[in-house]
Formats: sequence, C-alpha cells, structure tokens
Amino acid sequence: MTPRTPVTKTRPVTKARSVTKGRPVTKTRPVTKRRSVTKGRPNYLAGFGALLWLGLVAFPLYVMLGATVQSRLEYSTNGPLSLPRSFSLSNYTQDFTNGFGRYFLNTLIVTGSVVAIVLLLVPPLAFSIIRSRSRGSVRIFRLFLLGLAIPAQAVIVPMFYVISKAGLYDNLIGVILPTAAFCLPVCALILTGTMRDITGELFEAMAIDGATTRRVFFQLVVPLSRGGLATIVVFSALQAWNGFLFPLVLTQSEETKVLTLGLYNFQTEHGIDIPGLLAAVVLSTVPVLLVYLFARRALVQGLMGVGGK
Amino acid sequence: MVALTTPVKSEGQRQRPRADRGPSGHTVARPGIGWALPAALFFTLFAIVPLVLVAVLSFASWNGLEAPRFAGLDNWTGLLHDPVMIKSLWLSVLLTGLGVVTQTPLSILLGVWAAGRQRNRAVLSAIFFVPLLLSATAISVLWRALLDPNFGVPAQARWLFGDGNLLGSRTGAISVLVLVATWQFTPFHALIYQGAARAVPEVLYQAAAIDGAGRVRRFFHITLPQLRNSIITSVILMVVGGLTTFDTVLILTQGGPGTDTSISAYYMYQKAFREFDFGQGSAIALLLVVVATVISLIVVRISGYDKMAGTKEGM
Amino acid sequence: MIRARFSRTAAVGVTLALGLSLAACGGGGSSSGGDGEFHVLVYGDATNKVEKRIVETFNKTSKVKAVLDTVPGADYQKKLQTVISTPKAPDVFFNWGGGSIQPFVKSNLLLPLDDLIAKNPELKSNFLPSVFNTAEVDGKAYGVPMRGTQPVLLFSNKKVLADAGATTPKTWDELLDAVKKIKAKGVTPIALGGADQWPTLMWFEYLYDRVAGPDLFKNALAGDKAAWESAESRKALAMIKELVDAGAFGTNYDSVKYTDNGSPALLSTGKAGFELMGSWAYSTQQELNPDFAAKDLGYTGFPTVEGGKGDPADIVGNTNNFYSVLKKTKHADAIGEFLKLMYSDEFVKAQLAIGNLPTTTNTAKFLDASDNPDYLKYQFDLVDKATSFQLSWNQAYPPAADAPMMQAIQQFFNGSMDADAFIKAMQALSAK
Repeated sequence: MTPRTPVTKTRPVTKARSVTKGRPVTKTRPVTKRRSVTKGRPNYLAGFGALLWLGLVAFPLYVMLGATVQSRLEYSTNGPLSLPRSFSLSNYTQDFTNGFGRYFLNTLIVTGSVVAIVLLLVPPLAFSIIRSRSRGSVRIFRLFLLGLAIPAQAVIVPMFYVISKAGLYDNLIGVILPTAAFCLPVCALILTGTMRDITGELFEAMAIDGATTRRVFFQLVVPLSRGGLATIVVFSALQAWNGFLFPLVLTQSEETKVLTLGLYNFQTEHGIDIPGLLAAVVLSTVPVLLVYLFARRALVQGLMGVGGK
Repeated sequence: MVALTTPVKSEGQRQRPRADRGPSGHTVARPGIGWALPAALFFTLFAIVPLVLVAVLSFASWNGLEAPRFAGLDNWTGLLHDPVMIKSLWLSVLLTGLGVVTQTPLSILLGVWAAGRQRNRAVLSAIFFVPLLLSATAISVLWRALLDPNFGVPAQARWLFGDGNLLGSRTGAISVLVLVATWQFTPFHALIYQGAARAVPEVLYQAAAIDGAGRVRRFFHITLPQLRNSIITSVILMVVGGLTTFDTVLILTQGGPGTDTSISAYYMYQKAFREFDFGQGSAIALLLVVVATVISLIVVRISGYDKMAGTKEGM
Repeated sequence: MIRARFSRTAAVGVTLALGLSLAACGGGGSSSGGDGEFHVLVYGDATNKVEKRIVETFNKTSKVKAVLDTVPGADYQKKLQTVISTPKAPDVFFNWGGGSIQPFVKSNLLLPLDDLIAKNPELKSNFLPSVFNTAEVDGKAYGVPMRGTQPVLLFSNKKVLADAGATTPKTWDELLDAVKKIKAKGVTPIALGGADQWPTLMWFEYLYDRVAGPDLFKNALAGDKAAWESAESRKALAMIKELVDAGAFGTNYDSVKYTDNGSPALLSTGKAGFELMGSWAYSTQQELNPDFAAKDLGYTGFPTVEGGKGDPADIVGNTNNFYSVLKKTKHADAIGEFLKLMYSDEFVKAQLAIGNLPTTTNTAKFLDASDNPDYLKYQFDLVDKATSFQLSWNQAYPPAADAPMMQAIQQFFNGSMDADAFIKAMQALSAK
C-alpha cells in the first residue's frame, strides 16, 4: 500500500500556500477555491491513493449490488464480475417470503427497546454524575468507566447461565437486557461530556426561579443535551441493530431470530444462492443507510461514540 | 463495535465542592444519588455480576446439565496443557498485530486526507466510510460469498487467485481475516484521525511553510506528532477489538482449516457452546479480559498517556 | 436543526417500537407440565409435517395428549442441552442416538425403555436391528427410531465418468483408476465440502471400516486407545493420504461447503466426478438440479478394499433419528402407546411420501408405491443386509469430542498433521 503514502500532504500545502499570499488562514471553504487559482502542483499521488481505496471499498459493494438484481442462474453463469444484463428485484421479495420480514420486525423491536432503556436510564445517570455532590455518584461513574473494559464475549457464558435461569432463553427480552446494559458505559460517557458544557450560570438562573431538581432536569438539562442524546440514540441503536453474539447464544427459534442471525443462517443453509444472500445483506443495511443519508453527522458521531458537539 | 469518547474533563472540576448556594444566594437544586441508581443497578446486574460469575465459573466444572461443581484449578491447568489453547493465544496476538500494522498506516493516511475540506474529498469520504454501516455479520457474509472458490470472484480471476483455496489454507484464511478486518475497521479509525487532524493548529503549518518544509516533512514533523494521542487511542481499540474478534471468524472460517484460525475468542465459544465445557470456556474468557486489559495498560504506560489530563476509553 | 428533527423522529420511533415489543413479548415460551399432556421436542425441518400428523393421530384416541414443539436450526443440540435439566424439559425428544444422548444418560435424565419393551416387544422387534441398537447405551435401549435412515453413498456424475472413460468403481483400485482418468480430463475427480469438515470424516469412516472392520472404531469408542495405533489404523490413514496426494479432491476442497450447496453444484455442473455423501444428497440434487438428478446422477456403495477385514456390505452414516424419553415424565405408559405409532403403516407411508426411508420391518412392502422406488429400494436393501451400520463418528462420540475430532480429521486430510499426530489427537478424545 506504499503508493498511498503521499496522500496526506495535500492539506498542509493548501494551507501553507495561503500563508505565502499573506492572507490570514481560515478554516473556511475559500481555502479550496483558492487552491484552483494557484499554480502549485496538485497532489496526484494523494489522488491516486484515494482512488485505490475507493476501488477497494467500492468493488465488493458493486459486486454485491450487481448480484442482487440478477437471477441466480444468470449470476452463476456470468460470474460476479460481469455487468448485470437484466434487472429484477425478485431476490429481495424472495428474502421477505423466506422470513426476513419477521427478522426485520424482531430487530426493530430489539433496537427500539434497547434505545428506550438507554434513554430512560442514561440521562438521569449523567445528570447525577455531573451535578450530584455525593461520593456515591463518583463511585458509580468509576463503575461505568471500568465497564468500558468488559467485552461482551467475556461474559457470554455467565450471561447464558443467568438468562436461562431467569427463563428468558429464546426470548427477545433476554437479548434486549444485556445489549442495553453493554451500551450504558459509552452512552454515559458521551452524555456526561455533553452535559458538562451546560454552564453554571444557567443552573444559577434556574435556581433563582426556585426550580426543583426535576424541573432543572427536564427544562434545562435535557433540551440542552439534544446533541448528546441524538448520539446515544444512534450509538445504542447501531449496537442493537448489528448485535450478533447475544442473539446467537441467547436465542434459538424462528420467532426470535434477528437480522444478523438470519443472515448467518441463510449463509450456512443456502450460501450458494449468492444473489439472494447478498440481497439479504443489503436489506439488513437499508435502515442504517437511510440514517446515513439523512442524519450523517449524528450517525458518524454515534459510530464513534463521540459527544454531540 | 467499538466506541470512543470525548476526553473526560478533569476530575477536579467535577469534584470541587461547590456551595449549594450560588453567587446569587439562591439554593441550587442538585440531583441525589437516586438519579444514578437505576442505571447502576441495571449495569451491575447485567455486566458486573456476569463478570464476577465468569471468574467463579472458571473454577467450576459445568456441562449445562447438572449444577456447576467446584473444580479447583482443573480448568486452568487443563488450558495450560492444551496445545490448541496456546496456539489460539498466539493466533489472537498474530491477527491483532497484523491488524494494527495494516490498519494504522492506512487509516492515518486516509484520515488525514479526509480531513482536507475540499469538496471532492467530502464526497469521496462519504463512500469511503460505507463499510462502517454494515454489521460484522453482513461484512463476513459478503466476503464469504465474494471469495467462494467456485462461484465467487476467484472463479473468474484465476490469474490472481489460482485455485481459489483462500479459506482452506492457513495463510489464505489468515490473510482473508486480516483483509476483511482492514476493510471493516479502517474507516472507523480513519474517522478518529480525521477529527484529530482537523484539530491540528494551523499556526504550526504556517511556521513550517515559512521554513520551507515540504509535504513529506510537514507530515512527519507536524501532523504525525500531533496525532499521537489518537494513535494511542486507536491502537488500544484495535488491540481490544482484535483480541475479541469473533463474528468474522465464526462466519468466514469456523476456526479452520483445522485449528489454524481458532483465535482465543472463538475457541472460548467452541469450548462453551460446542463442547459444553462451560468451565473451560469461562477460564478462556477471563484470560481474554486480563490479557486485553494488561496490553491496554502497557500501551498507556509506555506512551505516558496516563499522565495527560484527558482520558479516552474504549470498549 | 437536522439533529433536533432527527432526535424527535427517533423518539417517535422508539415509542412505536417499544409498544411493539411489549405486544410481542406477551407470547412465546413452551413449557411442559399440564396434567393431561406430554411434550415432544423435535428438530424443526420439512419432516415435521409427518410428526404433526402422527401426533394428531395419537391425540384422536388418547386421553393424555401429545404436544409437538419444534426447534429449527442446526443448534438443536444446544437448545436441548439448555432445557433438558430444567422444568421446561420436554417429555420426549428427538436425537441422533449414540453419543448425542450419552451425557443425558450419564446425568441420569433418561428413561431406559426396557420396561416398555417388555410390555410390548414389537417396540424393538419391528425395527431393523442395525438401526435400533444405535440408541443403546451400556446395553440398555434409550430410543425408538422415528424418521428415515441416511446411509452414506458414493454419488457420481455419469456423464463425467463416461467422458473420461471411467466406470463406477467396485474396488479401491478401480476408484484410483477412475480418479486418474477424470483428473486427466482436467476435472476434479471427487467433490468434497471440506469446509464443513463432516464430509471429510465420511472418507475416514468408510476406509477404517473396509480396512479394519467395524470393531476397531467400536473398541476405540469403548476406550481402547491402542486401537488408533494399530497397523490397520495406519493403513487406512495411508490410503486416505494416497487418495488426497493423487489429487482426487483437487486443492481447494477446504474452501468448499456442502451445506451451502457448493459441492453438490460441482457434481451437477460436471466440475467433479464423484461425491461421497449421505443419502439426502439425492433429494438435494432433485430439488436444485432436477434435470441432472433424473439423467446423470449415479449412486453406489463404497468400494471394497482388497485384503481388508471389513465386510463390503458394511455401511456408515446416520442410522436414524430417535425418540428418547425423560425419566421424570408422568406419562410413561401413554408415551409407550405413542411410540407404537413409529412402526405403523401410516407412519411409514407418510415418511416415504416425503422421501425419508423408515427403518421398520414393514417398510419394504410400501416401497413400490413411492416416488423413487429404485433409489429407496437400493438403500433399504443396503441397510437391511448390512452386517454393520456404523453411526457417524461425530454422533457416536459425545458432543464434547465433536470439534477436536473434526479439526484433527481436517488437519490430517490437508496434510498439516501427520499420522502420529492424528492418532494422538484421536486418543485424546474423551468418550465420556
């Protein structure tokens, strides 16, 4: 991957160039525009490297989308590399008759419930962490920081034990609860980050009004943490939507199957029906893709678990 | 999936006792610990208790049929004498190491490139980050289909893939796992670097430009040192993520051929849920937590990261 | 602003989804218990329609009702293992006999069927003995056959064989000869879904039987570790090596699967000449490639090995599936009546209608009326005449041995483990 090395140089150059022109450097768009009028050599290597990565990312996606609009026969005769000669959505509709509708609904239920639990628990938690003066709150915050280090894989065996003892094996609730629990540390961290940006003066102003804790929370803290809230919603929704290990170990039957498990089973049972399989992959991603298109910023922040700033 | 968070602001700011009365003399309403308890209890029940249980179970013999029995150190000595376990640890380290080595340079370059504010970069970046949207399951399924020796890409590109025995040979299977991890996680780490690169103060570049530094020098002398914290964060996330890789192995190789890709996290699953030896499975799980934590701590120590004000955490 | 709108939308979505989830969480979860009923847990697949019908027939006359619960998916064993020691355990459950029920017997969970058989000897005598005794543990019967038998056969693409000038092999040498001829044509001689591992195991099972006879494995399973070191064991391994080294399986077999229909496609499209596979491969081909199945799909038993101890009539595979009964059931007598239906005419006809081959003594008389009389008759004769029907090794051992065994099989086959290491790995399997 050596050819890509110089990719990174472009930005400093454009910035530097503006300096030589004696203008103040700003982070704003004009930088780009100015670049086109200066004579400096464009960074061909960077462009080349970027195109290489583009190819690496786009190629599998191209094969995937191409395969899903072909019939199985056409795909197996022409191979994955050829351009599709026909167009049909039957692979998609067929997936739905194969049970993907139900998996979709199950995944939606899991995702919705996980998000709901997170929204119910995390804002009061974060509020308490930043505003409470009790030692307990500090300890609780430490507990969550510790929790960041626990991978789900590590506790899957006892989780299986606890969930089966609780009679929740093969029940969506049994998937929802641990999934939500494992979202908490990151969400707590994100939201405390956001809430700390609320200035003391605002709390002071509420105090002058004689506001109760509850009013402070609902009228000041929550509205001003919208960015962070959006981030934790997206973050926990993604965790739930893409979760695999908990459903794999804690569910069994067709009634409780989620999308990721459905994909896995589809692959083990009809792996050679590549168009149908890939259509299922696309279907499982559509909701995330929609969010990406319409709320890209919140999604990216949710992905990164970065505070909504 | 991994997560990264903003720096936690210095503890002092939070802990400094504040008067309940503000400057204006009015009582400031503060939440009690009760606000935090539901979340804390919930988390304790579903994360801390299982973590304690995993430690307990690692000293027990349990096949899921009868009640767990205390087994002393049997599971641990068993693991010590299990050649597959030793191999799996080595494989975990190998795959993690290869992941760090391939993904780090790629994601730094990509991140710094994407930090540029040119319009074309914004558009291309949007495509670059698409792998982030797919679940690990979807990605594994996609690559398994693409790499099928008889019905996938190798069948049409014999000049490149030969007989297409990618997942059936040791080197092939390991390469595929590394490649898929790169495809899957590079965009994520690039995002970290993009954010960090945008935060590099302009004035540094201005100074360098006045000194007549070229692109390469500016990259190595300004950008890279400024990305130091991000590199540490990103490497820790890669290490923890790499050691706990599971979905991709299960779907792409099932630990095969033979045990050639049975990394520890997969071996744990196999012991627990294919062989129903939950005791040994727990012992492996505990070992994984310890190894991941120790490696993270070492990285933090070596880098002197812990002496900095902000802390970043990942899971 | 976008963000604000987004979070509002998200909130609406959450509320909606939460409502749905509460609605959905109400149902679900089977439990045994009801006084007048017993639960039957079955591996969920197409055969369930027969099981449903039999349960209905039973419930028409019985006071105690049977309730059928199905668990779909390949992880049936996992689910069973989870519930069997809990109050949710079924009264009767589907299994593969052999090692699959051994841990349950050890944990004292299963009811020996001896009393039921004493009351009604037909519960044993109406089944083919080579099949019935698969579900015996420590000399006691724990299961009654309840589906079809699935011996492993050597399937072939007649057209590929003809093009290469090869014939259906009767002996090992003929097989080697056919492999050479097909390979010379640039076609992979034998399709193998090595990524699934168990298709590879089938070659071991047959060669060990042909070379050493059925006792070697039986002794090994009983704990005689020396069996694996015997000269016969080494000879069988050497023959496998010979076949692999002759290029019989090509080079990429470990990237191919049977379960995703990869290796059947190789056979049907003429990219391979043979495939050693369970009898179900016939219906797989009928479903996926009906033209091929009708015209060019050949099948035969495993070739004989000259000088080997094994009877050429011996077969390996899944002998059948079984119903076993839990000790704590309150309805042992009613279940005895229920099990009687497993050799009824209605049962046999219904199984044949969906392509399964039951292993009752009365099966033969219904074969002519079935869809694939030739194929089914061939199989039935094979099973009927077999002096030994060895249950697949991975089913004969308890589940704990499955993964290590499969890994050793794959590693010896692809050359990353030598005979000594393989023998050691097999000796290390716990038969407990």
